Amino acid sequence: MALFLIFLNLTHFKMKNIALLSVVMVLFMSCNKDDNYESIPYNNPELELSIPEDFPLLNNAFYSNTPTTFGVELGEKLFSEKRFSANNTISCATCHIQINAFADSNAQAIGIDGRIGLRNTPPIQNLAFMNFYNWDGSKLQLENQPLVPIITHEEMDSSILEVISKIEIDPEYQALFEKAFGDDNMIPERIYKSIAQYEYTLISANSKYDRVKQNEATYTISEAEGALTFEQKCSSCHSTELFTDQSFRSIGFPINPNTDEAGRARVTGNLDDYMSFRVPSLRNIEHTAPYGSFGQFTTLRDVLDYFDNGVLDVDNLDPILKDNNNRIPLSEEEKTNLIAFMKTLSDEEFLGF
Amino acid sequence: MKNLKNYILSAAVLVAFMSCSSDDDNPVANNVTLEFNNTFGATPIVLGDATSASATVNTSDEGQTHHFEEVKYVISNIRLIKADGTEIPYNVNDLDNGATVINHALPETLNYVMSDIPVGDYSEIRFGLGVKSELNTLDEASFPNFYASAGENDTEMHWEWGTGYRFTKIEGFYGSNNDVLSIHSGSTVEGEEGSYTQGVDAYRDITLTLPTNATVGNSAPTIVINADFDYLLSGQSHTITLGESNATPSIHTAVEMTKFVENIGGNGTTDTTGMFSIQSVEN
Repeated sequence: MALFLIFLNLTHFKMKNIALLSVVMVLFMSCNKDDNYESIPYNNPELELSIPEDFPLLNNAFYSNTPTTFGVELGEKLFSEKRFSANNTISCATCHIQINAFADSNAQAIGIDGRIGLRNTPPIQNLAFMNFYNWDGSKLQLENQPLVPIITHEEMDSSILEVISKIEIDPEYQALFEKAFGDDNMIPERIYKSIAQYEYTLISANSKYDRVKQNEATYTISEAEGALTFEQKCSSCHSTELFTDQSFRSIGFPINPNTDEAGRARVTGNLDDYMSFRVPSLRNIEHTAPYGSFGQFTTLRDVLDYFDNGVLDVDNLDPILKDNNNRIPLSEEEKTNLIAFMKTLSDEEFLGF
Repeated sequence: MKNLKNYILSAAVLVAFMSCSSDDDNPVANNVTLEFNNTFGATPIVLGDATSASATVNTSDEGQTHHFEEVKYVISNIRLIKADGTEIPYNVNDLDNGATVINHALPETLNYVMSDIPVGDYSEIRFGLGVKSELNTLDEASFPNFYASAGENDTEMHWEWGTGYRFTKIEGFYGSNNDVLSIHSGSTVEGEEGSYTQGVDAYRDITLTLPTNATVGNSAPTIVINADFDYLLSGQSHTITLGESNATPSIHTAVEMTKFVENIGGNGTTDTTGMFSIQSVEN
């Protein structure tokens, strides 16, 4: 084929060679006929995802990578694949553990050889409805994310070709790639896409909160009181059915001493974003301790106490806190009730209990 | 039968080739070497650790002394411009064959040899400091060689969290206490060029006029490019005093990073040379 292209280029300038070109074309076409194989048709139906009522719109990237039966199966297998790491010890699922809403219980992520990462592992839930990924929103679509942990020194410390070289000889993967994509060609994009497809299916919307909304359950008195306080003092940031408005805010939490940390400003180059982080979703929050961008707080009570006592008086403190003397005043009873309410956001089915 | 067809085909193509080349007149192509001199002003940079006696010490416009332990930067998207304005791009979409990491500690990286440059007189050179956004994705499958050389342990030009390359990596010391300076640049943009949805574009296009034409033909010219790192702190755009807020990688706030980028790579509009200049052209 390469010869043919060169030839075509030359004849472009040499009209006299057109006759010759036709001869070669005929030869090529007849050659092709001999070698032609019909690609084997494959059946990989799209998954029917049930989209919870009142959830935000899907991320646009979802529509160019809609989950399929075998794409998701492959993605789930890759998610638990320890050969993603240089020494075959760390998979995505090492830090993203189902019973923790696909986060873990470490303050900061722990990767290969016990190396400590910069930040707290984010939960993986309802990502199909998010427009920003990571605490600083560095990625806007899920397909662009899997490469980051693969190459990061403190996470898997490998490379995508190294990963492929390890798994491409595995018959199980060969079969799954074939089912998902029609052949077993393991190109990086297919790995990224199938992992994203799997993550798109991780939807948590079956908590007590959801059932109360659907009149299938009722709050205890404490939960109901907590819901009221939440409405008054928390919901301007923890809004929507995801319990985050997906904005980036500087809320005066204790600052990560690592000099690599600048929060959202690391991405945007805007000083107003210094040490701002994406408002976390509160779904399954009971199971994602510790809290804060680098796990500064051990318990939900610690977080509420901190807000009550007053946050750091930083230059770019969020106006809502600034207007309230840098704090969210809460009585002890309010804290207890808020925690009771937040626990109604736990989705046991999602957590695999 | 198939073999026979292939023979006929080869013969046909061969004939076509021969007839074509005999028509063309003397298509001589040759090498052009880019030689990078990293300096403080006119003084070549000598690297050294915190207490090094041999390292070249520079003093900024603000009177701050500094010296380097490590100096690396990526050059890509190289274009040679003929006197008549014709632009000859050199593998601009192929990082494996058109991009390189200049590493001051490795003399062999200071000369970048470009091959098969068409015959002609060249009066201008353009190149990128960094990697243009559409190629800045750490795409190991497409450009395995550049990916590997940039990612080597002693090179460390992968910017992991941004899934791009580091465009510059400068490590060193400043002030009387030899405090650490660690200045890295790289892009954080998302979206398509021209309509980025977020982030900072640290790529800079450098344009340098050659004092004398580089003549490619029977000779293989060398273009000697000076990179004057005095500009880092004392550039056309910013006069920078290093301190706790900007000397270490918290410059990744990208606000501070942008100042360094503009000083050494230009502001992209009125300054398209940054720290670079042509020292000489050797034909």
